[in-house]
Amino acid sequence: MIEPLKVLIVEDEALLAMELESLVEEAGHSVVGWATSSAEARKAVDTTDADIAFVDIHLTDGPTGVDVARYIGERRKSMVVFMTANPKRIPDHFAGAIGVIAKPYTMNGLLSALRYLQEGVRRPPPKSARPAGFTLSPAFETVWAPTS
Amino acid sequence: MDWKRTRESADAWHMTDDLHVEHGKGDPFAAAIRATRMSMIITDPRQADNPIVFANDAFLRLTGYQRQEVLGRNCRFLQGPKTDKAAVEKLRKAVDGVVDTSIDILNYRKDGSTFWNALYISPVSNDRGELLFFFASQLDVSDRKRSERRITADKERFEKAVQERTQELEAALEARTTLLHEVDHRVKNNLQMIASLILMQRRTIKDEAARQSLTTTLERIEALSTMHRRLYQSKDVGRLDVSDFARDLISDLLTASGRTHINSKLDLEPVSISAEKATPVALIVNELVTNALKHAFSEQPDGTATGNIGIRMSQPDGHLNIEVSDDGVGMAGTVSETSFGMRLIKSLAKQLHAEIGWHDAAPGTKVVISIPNEPQHKENAS
Repeated sequence: MIEPLKVLIVEDEALLAMELESLVEEAGHSVVGWATSSAEARKAVDTTDADIAFVDIHLTDGPTGVDVARYIGERRKSMVVFMTANPKRIPDHFAGAIGVIAKPYTMNGLLSALRYLQEGVRRPPPKSARPAGFTLSPAFETVWAPTS
Repeated sequence: MDWKRTRESADAWHMTDDLHVEHGKGDPFAAAIRATRMSMIITDPRQADNPIVFANDAFLRLTGYQRQEVLGRNCRFLQGPKTDKAAVEKLRKAVDGVVDTSIDILNYRKDGSTFWNALYISPVSNDRGELLFFFASQLDVSDRKRSERRITADKERFEKAVQERTQELEAALEARTTLLHEVDHRVKNNLQMIASLILMQRRTIKDEAARQSLTTTLERIEALSTMHRRLYQSKDVGRLDVSDFARDLISDLLTASGRTHINSKLDLEPVSISAEKATPVALIVNELVTNALKHAFSEQPDGTATGNIGIRMSQPDGHLNIEVSDDGVGMAGTVSETSFGMRLIKSLAKQLHAEIGWHDAAPGTKVVISIPNEPQHKENAS
């Protein structure tokens, strides 16, 4: 049994955050915080101890999700997965994030992504197949999904 | 002695000037050069500063000088403040290098007015290769220069107008693209929102039939989500590759609990369809696949089902053919003529002008749909 993940949700839409929290917890993981803006996100990063942060690109204070990812990366406290309806806004280097779950994701797609990420974070590289709608960053592609 | 000979030759030109009344008629070449409308001069490079030793009448008419004002002078007096320094330098190099050259140069008349001079200079040597003269002809090409300048100005104006228009169009395209991304973003967020609302509602319901009903609705919404995600991932947001969509859909549906023992067999040619067809096609494929997953395979005591489900997509002669097959319990168990799912499939097929047929595949069921589709090479035309 792999140890469950502690998840930080950075998402400005309350409804999506609520439902995401339910799905994360139903899958056996825990949610340690929810932030809607980059300032809230920074505070949550400093005061909680998450394994992974799901970060939307567009927050209440604008397209600041990439800054949040960079902030998390600098502190080396948790890993980042973007969750956005606009993956084209993510810079090529992904600001150090593992990858992106493209919105709209499906319930099964999200549950598969959680399983995949749990394996990847706890016992890399992940054994499950990469779920549809989940894209790895170039840096993690070479480590988690080497072609050779 | 050679010096003497060449001096004589130079003097001979002088003499045609000095003695043009007496001797000109006897020398047809000299007479021709004097009388031609082409302006011509001869200079003597062996005298200090290469002075003009002969100028014909055409030269005097062109420049406005008297003959005695030009003879004995270097021809640089034709230059003025607006004469191109680079052109003068090119001339100097040709004279120093004793080679012929032609150049358009701005010259000044005696009265200070300017003209464009298509100047041709050529060295003249004797049969021993000794330089005797420079021969120069001048042609007033001011008119040609004026029209050249006008053409250049027109061209620049035109290019500027094109550039401005291009910038306008690029800005408009940029605005349109931004708007499209914004709308796309909202559509996708709203689909996520709708799915979340259904999921939240489902959590509050105890009744299994009601939960099933919401699950079916969720699957239909999620099929549209998968379709939209694929639609906007493609380079052309007006088109969808149905095969990519089918691959995502089946992998998504098979990861659900209780379905992990069902195998998929995919035989998918890339087939591009227009965005208008994307929604009905996505819903039909979802309906056929989820229907097979729910009804074709008998459940084991542990709640799992085992079997194979196949999707084929091909594009023969202007049709998109989709085939969904299973090796389950057969048509009697899977096809219900009166269900909402069946009505949905038939209505969407009608909208697409598609033909649809259910076949007994023994074992299992095979559904074949044939949808008229535009030829693939027109992929980028819409």
